[in-house]
This record gives sequence, structure tokens and C-alpha cells, in this order.
Amino acid sequence: MAGGRFSLDLARPSRQHWLGYILLAPAVLLIAAIIVYPLIVSVDLSFQNVGIARLDQPRRPFTTANYERLFTSPDFWNACWVTLKLIVVVTSACFILGLGTALLVNNRFKGRSVARLLVAMPWAVPEVIAVVIFAWIFDSSFGLMNWVFLSLGLIDKTINWFSDPDAAFAVVATTMIWKGYPFVSIMSLAGLQSIPEDYYAAARVDGASALQRLRYITLPCLMPVIGVTTVLVMLWIFRDFSIIYVLTGGGPLKATQTLSIMTYEQAFSFFRMGYASAIGVVTLVICVIAAKLTMRRAPDNL
Amino acid sequence: MRQSLPARLFLYASVVLTCAVLIFPIYWLVVTALSQPDQLRQLPPKFWPDEPRWSVFGKILEERPIFLWLGNSALAALGAVTISMVVSVLAGYSLSRFRVRGGQSLGLFILTAKMLPATLLVIPLFGIFRMTGLIGSMWSIILAHATLIIPFTTWMLKGYFDTIPRELEQAAMVDGCSPLGALFRVILPVSAPGLAATALYGFVLSWSDYAYARTFLTNAQGNWTANLGITTMKGEYISNWADISAASILVALPILVVYLFLERYLVGGLTAGSDK
Repeated sequence: MAGGRFSLDLARPSRQHWLGYILLAPAVLLIAAIIVYPLIVSVDLSFQNVGIARLDQPRRPFTTANYERLFTSPDFWNACWVTLKLIVVVTSACFILGLGTALLVNNRFKGRSVARLLVAMPWAVPEVIAVVIFAWIFDSSFGLMNWVFLSLGLIDKTINWFSDPDAAFAVVATTMIWKGYPFVSIMSLAGLQSIPEDYYAAARVDGASALQRLRYITLPCLMPVIGVTTVLVMLWIFRDFSIIYVLTGGGPLKATQTLSIMTYEQAFSFFRMGYASAIGVVTLVICVIAAKLTMRRAPDNL
Repeated sequence: MRQSLPARLFLYASVVLTCAVLIFPIYWLVVTALSQPDQLRQLPPKFWPDEPRWSVFGKILEERPIFLWLGNSALAALGAVTISMVVSVLAGYSLSRFRVRGGQSLGLFILTAKMLPATLLVIPLFGIFRMTGLIGSMWSIILAHATLIIPFTTWMLKGYFDTIPRELEQAAMVDGCSPLGALFRVILPVSAPGLAATALYGFVLSWSDYAYARTFLTNAQGNWTANLGITTMKGEYISNWADISAASILVALPILVVYLFLERYLVGGLTAGSDK
């Protein structure tokens, strides 16, 4: 990091110190009003038996019933399992595709800049539009996917993608992979370009094969980028709402209901906002742990 | 280094094939929009319509207030990005240059806030906006999007300011500039690319939101954002994929154009501070 650690104590350190707080104040006030206060309300709601959140009414008596109900609910554990499954499947596929495409367009060839643009293009497609695309491709009656599978002889009758639990999970995962891999690709490409050419030249002199260069230079040099990217991709899947909600709404039979979807459904379909807040608080705890882990990996970022 | 001819052919073939497969869904969206609705109900599917139906865009613009939706999305994004940039520039500069008590914990909080699911904040925000009567108004969506954007922009700008040498403002201050003057007259002008990348990224974050729009604006049709409008079409006539696809193209176009022409800035924003 450029600049080092010494602070800007050129003329009057005390006054500049004071200025630091002034500059920070608007952000702190705004964050306090629209993020911290809502978070406190959320924790508070999770300890009350609340249907629809009404802040202008006296708060209900303190209860831990929401949490007791949550941890004994099979739906909650199902949502945890679905979330975990989705994170594992989508993250690994995003890495294979993302790293693969990054390595491919990192080669030198004519039209490389166009290829780079195209390869990462799904990143720029809004999630809701990606859902429209894949909902149509996986349409049960006239969708392209059924036709392709039938023509290839992989299936002998059409799959009803959105009423079969495993099929619906596959559709959700496919859509998320398509939306998610470009981010890995972009990040890996940036990492690849920061590897000095000398390393490869030296390896070539020593007679290293292409595979050895990948194994002993490229991948180790990419490790820091891969670490941060993995956390970010996993969190994106963990948080995602629009892809799953618009595509399947969490169904069929809760097969695609992640913690995010469950929170939203409890709050805005069943109007159990106290209970939903309890699920939200559990996701908050997971986020804090993830943030701490990232911080340990990249403490220089602060 | 020269590659042999077969190696080069193989490279080109794999690039073309990879791009074709990965871009195919976007291509299919265009084909679907341009096909006659009854043609979409025929198998085998046609990979390019016999007579592309360009009039579909005019038709959909007449039937649906797409421009209103796009305008609302733009308004929400502009409002949220403006608010976020103002507070983030100051905060990012402070975190980058000053030793502030609690700065570390604020940084950790911002990092955590970046990771919060919208589904967690949406419940208390719903309560707060109901109490203040903001539900259904553009302010509800602007403030909600600011919760998404501020953590990102503060984090990105802090990282960007870190890359600017301190000697710059030290020189300005020796010449008699006040610390605040140094920020506005020296640091901000040289940070223009970083500011642009950050604002653009904030814009994309706001444009992509669905959760907040669906929760706060569902009952206020005049304020629907583009994403919310599209999803109501999907639920409504599930069979008319040509129309939905045409509307989707119109909604996706602004971001795709930004991506194609300003990719360097967007990618710069994405990768800033994460390759350390």
C-alpha cells in the first residue's frame, strides 16, 4: 500500500485530527440512521411476538419464543441445508468457469479485448432479466432445454423443471452460476495480469511445461485473489433474493428456499415479522463471522 | 513468442466456442423477442426468426409504461448515488488520511454492512417507512438503496485515496492550502477516474435491486422501477415470452451499454482493493 502508516501531521496535527472526525460525521450519522438503527429494531423485533412491525405502538413483552421456534423448526434446518448446498454447488462451478475463461482470454490473440468483454457480459445483465431468460429456456412445454435434452436422447419425456424439487434446484443453480462466474473471471483476470512476465520467462528457461507453469506459478500467485473472491461469491449466494424469489419463490416443496427467501416469506407473505427477524439475526451473525474472516485475510484493506 | 499454427487455431476455436455458449442466453433473449408468439410454441425451435418482428418494441412501449419504469429506476439510482457519494467521499478521505478513534471498528462495521442481506434490513426499514409515511414514495427506495451503496462506496473510495501519494496534499498545504482545500482542489480532481468508477458501481447496485422495490413500491404503480415492472409481467402472462423478452431487453440495455463502453471503469471498481 502506498503512503505508509504515518498520519498527515504536517502543520497542526491537533486540528487535522479534529477535521478527521468532522469529515466522518455525515457518513456516521447517515449510517446510524439507515443501517444501525434498523439493525437494532431488527434485533428488538426478534424478541417480540410481532405480526406486522408497528414502531409507533408500545413494544410487546420480551420473549425468546421466536428463537425457540426457529431452532426446532424443520423448515429452518431445511433452509440452512439448501443454502449450504447452493453455496457449494454454485461457488465451485463459478470458479471452474471463471478461472477457465480468465486463463483463456489471458492468452495473446487478435480480438482479445472483445473476447474479454463478451466472456464477462452476463455480469452486466440485471438478475431479474437473467431470471426471465432462464425461466423461458427451462419452460416445461416449449423451453429450449427440454428440446435439447430430448434431441440428445438424454431424457425420453419432458422434465417439468419448476415442479420437481431437484430440477428446480438445478435451474436456480444454473441461473446463479451464469450470473456469478463473470465476477470470478474479472477478478482472476486482474490477478493474472499482475503476475510479472519474468516468472514465466524464468520457468521457461528452466524447462517447465505449460501445466507446471500453471501449477507452480499461476495458481500460487492467484491465491490471495481467489481467497477474497471466494468469500465474496459465497456471500452473494448467501444474500441473494431476486434470482430465487422471482424464479421459484423458494418452491417447490421448499427445495430452493434459502435463509434469505425464508426470512422474506415469513415477514411479507405470512406477516410474522418477529419470527422473520429472528432468522434475519441468525444471518447477521453469519455475516459478522464472514466479515471477521475476510478482515483476517486482508487486514491491509483497512 | 510465436505459437504454432495448430496451437493458434485451437486457441481461436476454444475462445469462439466459449463465448458462443456463455453469451447464448442473451442471444436467445433477442431471438425470443423478435419471434412471432405462435412460432415460439413450435418444436424444433427456430434459432433465428423467419421475419424478425422489430415492431415488438413499439408495441411493448405502447402497452407498458417502460419509460416511466426506466425513469424511476434512474431517479432512484441518481438520488441514492448522489447521497452516497457525498458522505462517502468525506468519510473515505478521513479513513484514508486521519487517525480517528474508532476508525478501525467503523471500517469493520462497514465491511459487515456490505455483506448484509437485503432481506434482513427490509423488515425494520418497512416498519420505519410505514411510521414515517414514506412507503410507496421514491424516498423510501432512495434511502433503502443508500444502505446498499454507502458501504461499497466508502470502502472503495478509501482504497482509492490510499493509492494517492500524501506528498500531493502536503505540497498543497506548504503552498498555503487548507486541509479541506487540499481535498477539494487537489485530491478530488486527481481522483476523477476513481470517483467515476465508484459512482458507476453504485448506479449498477441500485439498478439491480429488486427486494426493496418489491417491498416498498408494489402498491405504488407510478413509482415502479424497471425490475419490479418486469417481474409483474412475468407473473401476469406467463405464456407471452416474446413481449416479456422485448421489455427485458429495453430494461437491460442501459446497463449493457454502460458495460460495453465503460467496462474499464466498472472493472476497476470491482477489483479495487481486493488484489492485495
